[in-house]
Amino acid sequence: MREILTSVKRTPYQSLASFLILFFTLFLSLFFFNLTSFFNGILSFVETKPQVTVYFQTTTRESEIFKIRDEIQDSGKALSIKYVSKDEALKIYKDLNKNNPLLLEMVTADILPPSLEIFAKQPSYLTEIATYVKRQPGVDEVIFQKDIIDKVLTLTTVLRRTSIFILVFLLLVSFVVLMTTTAFKIALKKDEIELLRLLGASKFYVQKPFLYEGAIFGLVAGTLAFLIFNAFFLYFYPFLTSYLAGVPRLAFYGLSHLNLYVWPPTPSFVALSYVFVALFGILIGFLGNYLSTSKYISEQ
Amino acid sequence: MIKFDDVSKQFPLGNIALKNVSFEIKENEFVFFVGPSGAGKTTILKLIMNQYAPTSGQLTVDDYNLSDKNFHQVEALRKRMGVVFQDFKIMPDKNVFENIAISLKILGSSHQQIAEEIKEALNLVNLSHKTSVFPAQLSAGELQRVAIARAIVGDREIIIADEPTGNLDPKTAWDIMKIFKKLENDKTILFATHNTDIVNSLRKRVIVMKDGKLMKDNKKGGYEA
Repeated sequence: MREILTSVKRTPYQSLASFLILFFTLFLSLFFFNLTSFFNGILSFVETKPQVTVYFQTTTRESEIFKIRDEIQDSGKALSIKYVSKDEALKIYKDLNKNNPLLLEMVTADILPPSLEIFAKQPSYLTEIATYVKRQPGVDEVIFQKDIIDKVLTLTTVLRRTSIFILVFLLLVSFVVLMTTTAFKIALKKDEIELLRLLGASKFYVQKPFLYEGAIFGLVAGTLAFLIFNAFFLYFYPFLTSYLAGVPRLAFYGLSHLNLYVWPPTPSFVALSYVFVALFGILIGFLGNYLSTSKYISEQ
Repeated sequence: MIKFDDVSKQFPLGNIALKNVSFEIKENEFVFFVGPSGAGKTTILKLIMNQYAPTSGQLTVDDYNLSDKNFHQVEALRKRMGVVFQDFKIMPDKNVFENIAISLKILGSSHQQIAEEIKEALNLVNLSHKTSVFPAQLSAGELQRVAIARAIVGDREIIIADEPTGNLDPKTAWDIMKIFKKLENDKTILFATHNTDIVNSLRKRVIVMKDGKLMKDNKKGGYEA
C-alpha cells in the first residue's frame, strides 16, 4: 500500500487520469447494468402475462365462451387457457382498487366482462389465435400482448447493443490510458526495475506492485462509482417510485428465489451490483497494468 | 567456477565487444578486470550476469551453461550474484534498511532473516548507525557502502563490481576497497576498474583487456598501465 501511495505521489496527474477514466467507465457500466437488468425484468414480466386476452361482451353466455375455449384447446396451439369469470374479474378489480373506495362503489360483477387468458405454445401461433377469436360472436375486445413484448424486446435489444458498444469503447479508452500512464510510471522506475532484475527478481515479482496498483485503483474507482450512483438513485427514488407506480416487482434475470429484485431494488441486488462494479474495476485495472508491464518488462 | 572458453560477443549493429576470450575463475577468487574504456570489461560482467548472451564460445557459471540459446535459469543464476555499480543505484524513496532489504525480499527471506542479515551487513560496512537514513542524507562513499551491503546480503556468492570507486575521491575509494578486502576468501569478487593504484596495492589476480581481447592474465597480481 505504501508503494502505491508513493507511486501516486510521484505521478499525481497520470494517476488521476487513470483513476478518472476508470471511474467514468465503471459509473457508466453500473448505470447500464442497472438499466438492462430493469428492462430485462420488464420483459420477463410481460412475457409471463397472457399473450392473448379475449374480453367478451357482458351478455355473452359462459357456454359460448367455453365452446371457443375448447376449440382453441383442440387446435393444439394453446399452451394453457384460463377462464376469468365475471365474479373473478370483480375480485381482481377489488384487489387492484382496495385503497380507493370511490372506485369500488356501484361496481358489480354484471358490468365486468368475462375473459379468456390464452398462452400460445409458440409465438408464431399468437397471430392465428388472435385472428380466430376476433371473428367469434360475443367477443368485445382482443388484447394482443405480442406487440408489447416485441416493443420491449426491441427496446431491450437496442439498449443492450448500445451499452455493449459504449462499454467496449470505454474499455478501450481505459486500457489505452492505463497502459500509457503505467508505461510512464515504469519509465520513472527504470533503474529500480533494472536493479531488481539483476538481483534475480522474476518478471512477475517486478510486475506485482503495478498489478496491485491497478487492482486497487479499480476497486477504489468502482466503490466510488457505486456510492455516487446510489446517491443519485436515492435522490431520485421518490420520483421513480411515483413514475413507476404501476410497475410490479421485477426479478433480476428470474432470480427471485435469491431475493434479487431490480425494482424496487432489494439489498441483495444492491450488494450484487457492488460486487459487479468492484470486480469489473479490479479486472480492468489489473489487465490494463498487466498488458503494459508485460510489454515493457519483456524488453528489459 | 566461472569459465570463458573462446567467448566472443558481437552486437547486432556489428561492433565486436569481445574476441575469443578464455579464462577461468575459481570459487572465492578476487579478480580485477582492467583496461581502457571500451576494452570489454563491462561486457564480460554483463555476460556473466546473463544481460547479454555470447555470440560464440562456451560460457559457464558453475552448472549454468550461459551459451545455451534456450537458457531459462536467469533468475536462479542472478540470485547467486550481488551487483555494485559506479552510480550506486540506490532508491531515493527508500531508506538504508529498505534499500538493502530489496535484495533479501527477492530471495524470499523472512522478516527476521532480513533484520538480522541487514544488521550484520551494516556492521561490516560501518553504517549500523544509519539504518533509517534516506539516501539524500548520505555521502557518495556511504551510498556505495549501502550498495555493497545490498550486494552481499543473502549469501550471494559472486559479487560483481563495475567501477565501484569510479565516482569516489581517493580516500573514500580506499575505504570501499577495505570493505571488499574483508570479503575476500568468502566470496568470488569480480572487480572492473581503471584505478591502477588500487589494483597494484591489493596484489590480486588481474585480467587486462584491450579492444575486446584478453591481453594479459596476471595471476600473481599487479598491473602496469
